[in-house]
Amino acid sequence: MNAQYPITTTPKYNFPLPEENLQLPLDFIEISMRSLKHMKPVKLTQENSTSFHQNPKKQTTLNPTTGLTKLKPDPTKIPIVAMDVSSIRLGETEQGILIALRGAIVWKQDTRYRYLRLGPFPFHITNKTQLEISSLFRQHQQTIRIQRHTIPNILYLQTRLTTLLERWIQSSVNHTTRRSLILWDGSLTAGTPETPTLDMAQLLEEARIRKNTILAFSKMTRLLFNGRRLTNLLLDHEPPCIMRIEDNTVYEGPMHLMGNIYVAKLTRGSLAFRMDIDKQVPHLHVVESVQKLLGNDVVLQSYPETLRLAHIFSTFTAIEVLGIQRCLFKEKNLKILAKPNVRRILFGPFGKGFEG
Amino acid sequence: MQIISFPNEEVGKGDYLTVEDFKTGKSLIVQVVDIQYANIPGIFEELLRNYDGDSSLQGEDIDPFEVATHIAYIQDARLLVCKIRATNINGDMVFTSSWLPSRSRAVIRKLPIERLFASAKNGNEYLIDLGETNEKKQFQVDVRALDGGLNIITGKKGTGKSHIAKLLTLSLVTHGAPVVILDINGEYTGLGRTADGKPNDLHEKIHILTPKKNFKLNLGEFKIRVMLNILVNALHLPGTSAREFGRIWRFLDQNNALNMRELGEAIKNWKCNQHVRDALFSRYYTLLNSGLFTDEPAKVASFEDSIHKTRVGGAVVINLRDTSTVDRHVLVEYVLGKLVDLLTAKKLRAIFLFAEEAHLYLRETYWDDIVTRMRHYGMFTTFVTNQPETIRENIYRQADNLFLFNFTNDHDLETVSRASKVDADTVKSVARDLPPHHCLVLGKIVNDFPIVTKVRKLDVQTMGHTRLFFSKIHPLSNPVRSM
Repeated sequence: MNAQYPITTTPKYNFPLPEENLQLPLDFIEISMRSLKHMKPVKLTQENSTSFHQNPKKQTTLNPTTGLTKLKPDPTKIPIVAMDVSSIRLGETEQGILIALRGAIVWKQDTRYRYLRLGPFPFHITNKTQLEISSLFRQHQQTIRIQRHTIPNILYLQTRLTTLLERWIQSSVNHTTRRSLILWDGSLTAGTPETPTLDMAQLLEEARIRKNTILAFSKMTRLLFNGRRLTNLLLDHEPPCIMRIEDNTVYEGPMHLMGNIYVAKLTRGSLAFRMDIDKQVPHLHVVESVQKLLGNDVVLQSYPETLRLAHIFSTFTAIEVLGIQRCLFKEKNLKILAKPNVRRILFGPFGKGFEG
Repeated sequence: MQIISFPNEEVGKGDYLTVEDFKTGKSLIVQVVDIQYANIPGIFEELLRNYDGDSSLQGEDIDPFEVATHIAYIQDARLLVCKIRATNINGDMVFTSSWLPSRSRAVIRKLPIERLFASAKNGNEYLIDLGETNEKKQFQVDVRALDGGLNIITGKKGTGKSHIAKLLTLSLVTHGAPVVILDINGEYTGLGRTADGKPNDLHEKIHILTPKKNFKLNLGEFKIRVMLNILVNALHLPGTSAREFGRIWRFLDQNNALNMRELGEAIKNWKCNQHVRDALFSRYYTLLNSGLFTDEPAKVASFEDSIHKTRVGGAVVINLRDTSTVDRHVLVEYVLGKLVDLLTAKKLRAIFLFAEEAHLYLRETYWDDIVTRMRHYGMFTTFVTNQPETIRENIYRQADNLFLFNFTNDHDLETVSRASKVDADTVKSVARDLPPHHCLVLGKIVNDFPIVTKVRKLDVQTMGHTRLFFSKIHPLSNPVRSM
């Protein structure tokens, strides 16, 4: 059997980044540097509680039918690649906000895991730099044309930059792997300003061409089925199994589900996850892919280890936030001061809510 | 007080820092007593994630901003646990800690020991070179701080206790002080010679008295009190017999016949109960057979004469090596009794007594005597021991100076921490990590600023080496052999 290694090796990493795909991180770094150059020596107001950005999600009720498939782990060798991106808000300046992004890619080959961490990329998002960032969107997202009057506000740019980095990593992995399982964090929902439908369609098409299968795991979902949370549907079923949700809902507006929705309960335990897989991938192939995932990766609490590692490696720890803040202080003369907690000032010990 | 320190700042246990608050014109003088890793939020997650012992997980980072160096810098931050030693108010040292500097404005600097002592207005007369500080600077102390004091030198075996005792002895002798050493292992007999065996500058001032050889006792030098102490405490003579002995002694003294031969005759012919006679004879023969006594004093050195030679500076080393327990007790009773007599009669101004492993020869009642009565007569004792629990708690409490070497045993540290000159935390934390030949000096001699010093080397003949069996057959080069 000709075991074609799906990832072309380079002297440095086990993961080649094609020239065209390297454009974005270079742009990222340049804009990041420029955004920080714009900063005068100012005092940075530190967030009292740093929190990871989460997109506000609306609870949606599906109108689906279901189909349960029992799974059996398939030990046929297949490379697994997972990726995740995190962003964190470091603080506020008088001109805007300071954030940092980082992406992580993890490969599982035989019994070994390899990771590549990209970043952290600090960004100073101000009224001045958001034009450059918007230009970056126009450059790298082919379908969306941001008009001057629709330039997203400063706070929203954090989400957009995060998504941009995530899509770049996904695209890079797509271009450089073959016959692999690619694990994404999140869903295959498109049509949002950050994820235009055409971009997502291209990503999925590229995956199909290279015989890759994208499995997108959502840790949290607000989708309901007959009034029950989607992930609770498999509570009483013996794992490993997946349940396909045949969704006939017609969505209003630009949002599109580009994948079929599954609920996956891969191991014993209380957890099950929403799993999105490209609509054009036949159900049989989906079943085979998930069985190969079970046969090739460690799965704990229904969640693949490779994806868990990608999340862990991209996540910012408190010490990293301090490190970035120190870096900005040392390199950019940015002194950090604690932001006064208005709730505390007003309500004293009763001011325990989130400091907005 | 806890202070954060970063990897590029070199601070060690025992170092001093000043926390200056320029607005108030005051500064705190604090000492680092413990160094810990700073408990930075997220450090545990960071270490877990970057654990590289797992060969099944490897990776690389693309870090264009080189943030990793800053993260590592924070990761390695340390927390200096400090004790406040004094407050400097416009140049005046106040030994209180009722004031705290501003957290945000205060400037923290390392305080070199020489500056600490300059600011503490330490005198520069009678200085002796004790060793070097952590900053590799010479560390000098005023030898007068040992005057009138009670000192303890303690630490586990092989850390340098006898070495500093020798250094202090030679320093005292150099400055004209008389010293008596109760040398249990014969370690101090080479004090008057250089390492290669040649006589040194103080050779003439070091007098070695070896019992049965050049040091013998003559009954004529004894006072009845000292002899009764020997009989009762060292030889356990019952009270009735002791009273009868007193009568015999007075009889011989009146007839100017105080010698061993006459004493034996007197016991033989004395009218007394046969049991008393037997008891007295038994002790008499013990003393006679010890070989410590002579009726011909001219043939051996007199202890009193040796002590007189040290009046302008000198040391009398009583070599107790190769003496039996009973003989040691007899000799020590004699020496201490004689010293008290000399001091009481003001024939001796004061004496510095170095007692190594004193529990092996000092009777129970002497401990209190030494810290109270004898001290007032002018006998200033330095105890040297590797078993701190053998020294009574009241000795620790009244000690003026403590020279503390490494201890790792918690029980030992607990005992030593009873010394009133320093807080228990400092003793336990600093002493545990002292390298060999490094000493934590506490008390009057360092103006109550605990100082860690590396004791300087001495060019004297070391006699305290343990005789080894294997050293001549196959000297130990490397105790660990790699497989």
